[in-house]
Amino acid sequence: MTPLITRRGFLKGGAAGVAGAALLGAAGCGAESASAGSALSVWYWTGSISDTLLGNVQKKVGVKLEPQKIGGDFKSKFMTSLAGRSYVPDITGINSDVATYFPDADQFVDLRKFGADKVKDQYLDWKWQQGVANDGRMIGFPMDTGPTALYYRTDIFKKAGLPTDPAEVEAHLGTWDDYLAAGKKLQAAIAGTCIASATVNDIFDQVMAQSSKQYMDRQNHFIGDQAHVRNAWDISVKVIKSNLTAKTVSLTADWNAVMTNGKVPCFVGAVWMKNFLGPAAPKTKGMWRVCRAPGGAGNSGGSFLGVTKYCKRPEDAYNAIRYLESTKNQAFSYQDINLFPSTPASYKDPIMRKPDPFYGGQVTVDIFGSAAEQVKPFYFSPYDDAITPAYATELGNVESLGKDPDQAWNDCIGQIKRTLQHTGVI
Amino acid sequence: MTQARFARVLAHLVLIIGALISLFPFYWMIVMATNTTGDIFQFPPKLTFGSHLLGNIRNVLHNIDFFGSFLNTLLVAVVTTALVLFFDSLAAFTFAKYDFPGKRVLFIILLATFMVPSQLSTVPLFVLMAHIGWVGSLPALIVPGAVNAFGIFWMRQYIQGAVHDDLLDAGRLDGCNFFRLYRQVAIPVLRPALAFLGIFTFVTVWNDYLWPLVVLVNPHRLTLQVALSQLNGLYNTDYSMVMAGTLMATVPLILVFLLGARQFIANLAAGAIKA
Amino acid sequence: MATTSTTTPTTLTGTGRQTGRRPSTGGRFRRYLPLYLSISPFYIIFAIFGLFPIGYSLYLSFHSWDGIGPMKFVGLAEFRYLVSDTQFWLSVKNTVEIWIISTIPMLFLALVIAVILNSSIRFKTAYRIAFFIPNVSSLVAMAIVFGSIFANNFGLLNGLLQALGLSQVQWLNDPWGIKIAIAVMVIWQWTGYNAIIYLAGLQAIPTDLFEAAKVDGANVVQTFFRVTVPMLRPIILFTVITSTIGGMQIFTQSQVLVGNTGGPGGAGMTMVLYLYQQAFTKNDFGYGAAIGWGLFIILLLFSIINWRVVQRTGK
Repeated sequence: MTPLITRRGFLKGGAAGVAGAALLGAAGCGAESASAGSALSVWYWTGSISDTLLGNVQKKVGVKLEPQKIGGDFKSKFMTSLAGRSYVPDITGINSDVATYFPDADQFVDLRKFGADKVKDQYLDWKWQQGVANDGRMIGFPMDTGPTALYYRTDIFKKAGLPTDPAEVEAHLGTWDDYLAAGKKLQAAIAGTCIASATVNDIFDQVMAQSSKQYMDRQNHFIGDQAHVRNAWDISVKVIKSNLTAKTVSLTADWNAVMTNGKVPCFVGAVWMKNFLGPAAPKTKGMWRVCRAPGGAGNSGGSFLGVTKYCKRPEDAYNAIRYLESTKNQAFSYQDINLFPSTPASYKDPIMRKPDPFYGGQVTVDIFGSAAEQVKPFYFSPYDDAITPAYATELGNVESLGKDPDQAWNDCIGQIKRTLQHTGVI
Repeated sequence: MTQARFARVLAHLVLIIGALISLFPFYWMIVMATNTTGDIFQFPPKLTFGSHLLGNIRNVLHNIDFFGSFLNTLLVAVVTTALVLFFDSLAAFTFAKYDFPGKRVLFIILLATFMVPSQLSTVPLFVLMAHIGWVGSLPALIVPGAVNAFGIFWMRQYIQGAVHDDLLDAGRLDGCNFFRLYRQVAIPVLRPALAFLGIFTFVTVWNDYLWPLVVLVNPHRLTLQVALSQLNGLYNTDYSMVMAGTLMATVPLILVFLLGARQFIANLAAGAIKA
Repeated sequence: MATTSTTTPTTLTGTGRQTGRRPSTGGRFRRYLPLYLSISPFYIIFAIFGLFPIGYSLYLSFHSWDGIGPMKFVGLAEFRYLVSDTQFWLSVKNTVEIWIISTIPMLFLALVIAVILNSSIRFKTAYRIAFFIPNVSSLVAMAIVFGSIFANNFGLLNGLLQALGLSQVQWLNDPWGIKIAIAVMVIWQWTGYNAIIYLAGLQAIPTDLFEAAKVDGANVVQTFFRVTVPMLRPIILFTVITSTIGGMQIFTQSQVLVGNTGGPGGAGMTMVLYLYQQAFTKNDFGYGAAIGWGLFIILLLFSIINWRVVQRTGK
């Protein structure tokens, strides 16, 4: 397929004498910070920090920041920069998989050193605990949270004879079984209608998001083969078998299509889904509502800020973070870019209580705020990232290949155990 | 007569369909880049050019540092190409026209390096780059690719046929040393071969993806391909904007290629036959 | 290696300025120095950025390391895991499948195009350029474009199927759909290249062979299989080998089309994508190095099998 040798091979097949040696000599060792001059570099991804607030930091805190928006696989880029000890940012956004950094917690500054504990009670406790490594070192400072809710379209619910008022929908769809029953009703009324755009994202992950137990306990025992996970698995399989999934890849153009054309008139998702739903389906504005998710309160996503050990002025970095994540500014971020605060006091801020035209004038903080406060503390382990793809893979096999669900479950658990053995955990 | 004519029409028909398939993705790319995302999602999709190209380009420029990435890519491609042309042709000239102790062994080693897939060394090369502090910088892309076995091998084949020994002999009698022979006798004859290897290298470097994706951790120093994949990953709900970026990254290269296409294709074929 | 026409500098320098002097070791050194200097860049750079990493990769593959913390020696554990890793074998299977469904149609189409182009036909250059343009276009850009063609719910192809009254296909959700999409990209990009190679080969076949076939009363198909294909055997071998090497290393199309996870069911997970994923998104450097060795061995096996098969069918 390639001429003689591959393109990469072609490039690397050889090498550069004089020029190379000169450059070799010139290049220094040790880590270079990603920041230029005196500014502290901040790595974040689109929509994770309000650009307005970032712009205010110098004026309000007296710390100059150099924000850098990183595209693609954020964590991979960050880990690669740590491994390369080059261009490591001073401050970095950390996603909800904060626990994967725990084995390398020494790469971060312990934020307790700067008095983080003093403001602890302003933040949701379960959220705060997530950023603390097993050895007590606090590497992630709470940013936003991802309380979940049921999103549904009133126009289509009405057509299918389902209730449309949030309180009624909530009462009618209290459990996942209710949700499945509603799905069948939708399907009977409008052929081809689904209750999930993608099984893993909208069902399996969401049931797990409501569970207080995840895949490992704090003692590093694997608990992903227990009833709480099997429950999420079984509900997913039911959705698949009832043809209630649209089988799209989440947040792709395909997903936009099913959100617009009404093929998927409801789904369970985190508060930040609106950031995608709005631009994906502008024509559906005003038709959506949210209410408590079937199965209860859950959290999916939400992020943190950390300071790396390469940061030359960690105290300044901490002060900048404190400013960005204060109660007032979290409320501002919600209004600005729909980041849901991890500071419960913000929920009463008038700017959070504005009626939202996308949801037909609903005050959604009532739904998401109470969900956030009801989330049960749960433990993410450093290995969850390695564990969870197996469920997704095998559920995918059930969905697209028609694989026997029990066989898939066994293969899934087997694969996870092999992976954990390889990692040296069990 | 009619049968021959029929055959010819059929042949053209097959070729035209093939050419249309070859070119269609470019056409579709332009259609998408000139329309809005909404136009693309409607059914049936719009298949004609729209008027939103400038707006889409503006969005691209707003979302990624397009010109920065463009300049980085150009820099890497130009410098790598220049080094490859010089080092490859020089080594090829030596292998083609001189004898020296160890030549056979050295040439076999050169050929043996073909056998090693580059992916084998992706991980250790990254670690090496980390140690010498090149991660995130452009030398990490340029230096490992500054000379290559393929170019030397291909050039050597070419030189054996193109550079005549009597010219070299005459040059030697005039007292030319090795480097002058290379510059004044070999280089003028090698122009077409250098043009081929130059375009080949330029296109390859311009389109390279895996290694830049791995090693370019500095967000201010991306190549176009990496920037483009980030654009796609970050904003894949805004298709027409992503397509505008795709178009902007593709057009310059196609133009470079079209400038030397005829020559390039002829050389490509000749190279394969000899190899 | 050295051709008969190569003139050795030994004889010439003797008749040149150095006449009358006995060639001392210093003279020899001075005579060969420019030659060694001229070829040295390749060996220096290969040693640093090619050879050393290969050795180091072996060292790495005996360790468990995330690239950041301390390295831990684990002996053959990485390789033991590799052999039992279903994900790795899935990636091997995917790669081979994509390679088969892309290479066979691609080489066949290329041969057909080359044969047609080889007849006396007008606009030859224009056709060749049109067929070759996909080859110089960026893989990332084209993978994005093809993504929009194969998209499940709004894709151009599904639009076309719907317009024809056929049922739509969930291309990017179906394991074969993903592989077909990747294979189509490969075919699209490399058919023109191979056609041009074949065309050059065809032009080198003496025309009297075709004349003779015609005199013997062979039709077009017979001539194709009895004369064209046998005469092109070395060229076909060349294209099969290059296609194998390229096909075993597919990465960009998958990564851009279905992402680092290989898409639904991991159907787009190729060997190189798996290596990239394990090493650079999971930061498992030791295992990444081990996968590199797995890839190397598989590539070697395929090259040997390839060579054997093509050699045998030729006899």
